[in-house]
Amino acid sequence: MNDWVLPQIDLDRCDRCGLCVHHCPTQAVEMGGRGPFIARSLDCTYCTDCEAMCPQVAIICPFEIVWVEREVSR
Amino acid sequence: MISKADSLHAISVFAQLPSATLEDIARVAVPRAYETGQTIIFEGDPCTAAYFVARGHARVARVSAGGREQVLARLGPGQSFNTVPLFQEDGVNRATVRAVDEVRLYAIAKKDLIALLRTNPKLGLALLRDFADRLDHLTDLVEDLSLRTVRGRLARFLLEQAETGAVSPRLTQAEIAARLGTVREMIGRTLGDLADDNLIRMDRDRIVLLDRQGLEHEVHG
Ligand code: SF4
Ligand code: SF4
Repeated sequence: MNDWVLPQIDLDRCDRCGLCVHHCPTQAVEMGGRGPFIARSLDCTYCTDCEAMCPQVAIICPFEIVWVEREVSR
Repeated sequence: MISKADSLHAISVFAQLPSATLEDIARVAVPRAYETGQTIIFEGDPCTAAYFVARGHARVARVSAGGREQVLARLGPGQSFNTVPLFQEDGVNRATVRAVDEVRLYAIAKKDLIALLRTNPKLGLALLRDFADRLDHLTDLVEDLSLRTVRGRLARFLLEQAETGAVSPRLTQAEIAARLGTVREMIGRTLGDLADDNLIRMDRDRIVLLDRQGLEHEVHG
């Protein structure tokens, strides 16, 4: 099984504007003392909305690009 | 005998206008007839009039940068042409229009149409409505064209990336957009479209390529 990948948050870039928290359609992101974090990881659908909203490019959802046959053999 | 105002009524831009306005237009509309193959206006000439087709068909064409003639549209009864450059300062005819069969049309000189507009707000609104439709159509067209090219470029990019060695790259949609010279929203939408067409599958943090032939077809299509 692939790991349950989550959006990556770079707290050094983040200015805690809260847009990612506000715009997550599943309320998976919360604002903590040091910045936002994925509080309910199972609720995250990897929809990339948080990345789209973030003005600082502090939260990102990268993708792997693979062929279907290679994926099966992993 | 049908009056000039009656036949102007059949022109779609004028269709909703009251008869008094049609009479005003009829006073300045000059009927003209063209034989098959005859040129009605030449691309690049100063725009002196707008034209409203009553009968027959015309072909609108432009000469491309490479010198090839590109047919842009075919016009039939009820349609108009050359209205846009008419409102531009020093407007020129944007295309060459040629009769494909026997054409009867009405020409309204630039100065006459502008004078009419000063006293006929309904005519102004009718023309604006026509312009709004054209603008809508063009907006759709531009979106369609850019979507199509992004689709092809994205398909090529995905194929290239999936080939690069053992380590699959990890890229955000914003990075892909930057590489393809477009915006992130476009990538998101196009990925969704490719997935709808079963060429790829969005699998959480993976873009899984499913159909090599289909993707290659997008690149060259
Ligand atoms: S990827 Fe979507 S679901 Fe996951 S945290 Fe971001 S906005 Fe929420
Ligand atoms: S949107 Fe970006 S900058 Fe704002 S809180 Fe979220 S991660 Fe930080």
